[in-house]
Amino acid sequence: MDFTFSEDQLLFRDSVRDFLVNEVTPERVRASWEKDDGRDAELWQQLAELGLCGMTVPEDFGGLGMNELDFVLLAQECGYVALPEPLVNTALVAVPVLSRLGGEAASEYLPRIASGELRVAVGCSENGLVEDAAQAGLLLWAEPEAFYVLTAEQFSTRYNPSVDPSRRLYAVELGSDAKPVATGDQAQALYQAVLDRGALGAAAQALGLAQRMIDISVQYSSERQQFGKPIGSFQAVKHHMANVAVRLEYAKAPVHRAAYALAEDAAGASEAVSHAKLVACEAANLAAKNSIQVHGAMGYTWEVDLHIFMKKAWALAGSFGDTGFHKQRIAEHIFADGAALGAGTTFA
Amino acid sequence: MKVLVAVKRVVDHNVKVRAKADGSDVDLNNVKMAINPFCEIAVEEAVRLKEAGVASEIIAVSVGDKACQEQIRTALALGADRGIQIETEGAVEPLVVAKLLKGVVEKEQPQLVILGKQSIDGDNNQTGQMLGALANMGQGTFASEVKVDGDHVSVTREVDGGLQTVKLKLPAIVTTDLRLNEPRYASLPNIMKAKKKQLDVYTPADLGVEITSHLTQLRVEPPAERQAGIKVESVAQLVDKLKNEAKVI
Repeated sequence: MDFTFSEDQLLFRDSVRDFLVNEVTPERVRASWEKDDGRDAELWQQLAELGLCGMTVPEDFGGLGMNELDFVLLAQECGYVALPEPLVNTALVAVPVLSRLGGEAASEYLPRIASGELRVAVGCSENGLVEDAAQAGLLLWAEPEAFYVLTAEQFSTRYNPSVDPSRRLYAVELGSDAKPVATGDQAQALYQAVLDRGALGAAAQALGLAQRMIDISVQYSSERQQFGKPIGSFQAVKHHMANVAVRLEYAKAPVHRAAYALAEDAAGASEAVSHAKLVACEAANLAAKNSIQVHGAMGYTWEVDLHIFMKKAWALAGSFGDTGFHKQRIAEHIFADGAALGAGTTFA
Repeated sequence: MKVLVAVKRVVDHNVKVRAKADGSDVDLNNVKMAINPFCEIAVEEAVRLKEAGVASEIIAVSVGDKACQEQIRTALALGADRGIQIETEGAVEPLVVAKLLKGVVEKEQPQLVILGKQSIDGDNNQTGQMLGALANMGQGTFASEVKVDGDHVSVTREVDGGLQTVKLKLPAIVTTDLRLNEPRYASLPNIMKAKKKQLDVYTPADLGVEITSHLTQLRVEPPAERQAGIKVESVAQLVDKLKNEAKVI
């Protein structure tokens, strides 16, 4: 079986990378931090015009009808530039969940999401806080027993600062007229879908963030001279980045596998997602830690771009289930009665 | 009106190029390739002419090995209607490219040919002008504005002293300067559509051109490394250094 990405998937990644690297510069990210709502309407419209908001929207609703596996490489690219706009939560979480819910909500909202006209926020009770809830015209709120699709009038928000200034987090209070659109088993399945896709999005972005921090540090250590040589030539410095590169490489396969498992609705998809989230966030965390070491005191300064990526990595580690939550899910899987453990079977 | 646009595959403009260790050429191993930025501007201008209802069909043509189909597909994703690859091996010099493009011009009979003013790898700035001479067509080079009016095209050119506007009778050749427009990004639906667009492959023999080389590249070397600057103590010292060391004032 061929698990390599298709020519189309790689072509999409390359074109999206070109766009993001050129348009979402660190200066533009910093500029978004200064705005009250933290959002860049022009950039969001550009993303929509490129077809990114509608990439996972079914073709019947004006999208490209692609799946989680098609989008995962693009989510990595979003991480690489620390994209402040909530594209990953929209295309990788909200749209597939709304498609799965189907019915009037899907036919009414999906075409507007694809065109970029409607911003959607998505959250679950595991997280508590919802990114961009105050900026969204639509909120998908998932609880294990109830799933809500709410317009802006049906909920209120309270701002909570995040370690990452790009993320605008809000506590959400449902209005008295908020009624669940799904309950029982259906709500449970949608809750799981939100949690898993959100965690996959965070994991994929963490891969991109780790790569960016490696690139920034390698460039810095190639230019910064000490004792007449670039500091990157010293073993103690270059091993820091080599360790991150190895950790990152080992994290890629679990993330891509989790995307495949979700796209195919495969058994064990949730365990695959938890595995992916843990290893990808560990890689990004190590990248942040070692990049600081490589930069020395410069790494702590506001002027150096490193902190843009570090802060997003830290924030994403706790998004859609923190480390404890995902470790617990793995633990339940491997300590279950009759669990098949060992190489090729633990996560099979 | 049919518009022919030439696109060249070059090293991506963000890549810092390196010379091969033996100095024989630029090292292209594992280097990202892209459409020459000036050619991308040419494609964008053609697409804008089509959107304005002036052009009816855009043909993107490239000269090179199979890899250059990637750049033709990019042009198709940006809005060109069909592509032509003229299959050659190794480096081809501007005169050969101009002769091959002349063959395509004779075959397709476009009213307007838009090319980048130069490619960022060779920096020759010759192909458009040579094609103009070979095809006996008027040319407006270094265009910063293009307006088609009936059977004429007005081209505003960026020249040393400012701007010069020339009026050319169609068919004509335009070469693009950097400020002509800002190219768009290809959208994902258009990238998918581009895969289904027609792409014809010709050999130089199909166009009646024999490839002969008139140039030999002797050596490639990187520019000299910039020396570190110094801090001067005073304005007077700065002026002294500019006058006596740098000899610029």
